Amino acid sequence: MEEFHNGNEGSFNQEEVDNSIKECIESVVGGDDYSQSLVNKWTAGIVERCLTQLVKQGKPYKYIVTCAVMQKTGAGLHTANSCYWDTTMDGSCTVRWENRTMYCVVSVFAVAIA
Amino acid sequence: MSDVAKDKSQKREKRTGKVSSEGSHGVKGNTRTKDSISTVSCLTELGHHDENIRMTVTMENTYQMGPHKRFPVPAVTDILKDVLVSYLQEEKYEVEWSQKMTKTICEVIRARVKDLMIPRYKTVVLVHIGQLNGQSMQMSSRCLWDASNDTFASYSFKNSSLFGVATVYAVYYE
Repeated sequence: MEEFHNGNEGSFNQEEVDNSIKECIESVVGGDDYSQSLVNKWTAGIVERCLTQLVKQGKPYKYIVTCAVMQKTGAGLHTANSCYWDTTMDGSCTVRWENRTMYCVVSVFAVAIA
Repeated sequence: MSDVAKDKSQKREKRTGKVSSEGSHGVKGNTRTKDSISTVSCLTELGHHDENIRMTVTMENTYQMGPHKRFPVPAVTDILKDVLVSYLQEEKYEVEWSQKMTKTICEVIRARVKDLMIPRYKTVVLVHIGQLNGQSMQMSSRCLWDASNDTFASYSFKNSSLFGVATVYAVYYE
């Protein structure tokens, strides 16, 4: 078990995940304006892409990916999260993205398996 | 060296479900008995273990197939409802107040779920508070986990000026 947990694979790489999430968001909603009929497809698409990217990394983690897309009308939104887990092995990453007509907040939580 | 390779392949299989983790425990059991037979190799391996124990904690095998006590979704949903209603019922949306309230509610929910004392479950609590301004919003989430053991609970609350959404994800630690 110890041999498996070398520095590379045993912890959560926040920067790498951050970049891959940004790419996923850009590829799904990149240049579009907020659309009520499409938003369902967008959130599902973003979440699915993020998850497949994370799985490709091949690390021993369970993942929780959440995505919130909100239309820009001047309204405020606050988000908080609190986690009860093993801080040495588990980690999370939140990415805020916006364009002219909408906000997008994606959170990834990675929980280590044993 | 071959044991290391075997352990590594066993650990990769572990990700896909519970069954293979059982297999990896079996392998570990075998290596343990092997260690007890030849004392020389045992000593050298323990040396490596000591260096790595500083980084990772070694756990004894529990031979436990699944959680003894499942995560009580209805009880947690009640907690979420209780907390959101009591903190947000008559309030009006204000920027600084909402910022503090989101964090407070998050911590209160985490403390109450911890009080339920459900062993071997890690929890993630997510709280969103937003202003109602005629805007449209969509939230979705997807999880890669063991569907037989892991679950979530969610509750959303609305009053005339704001909305609040709280979600708790529970992940079983094998």
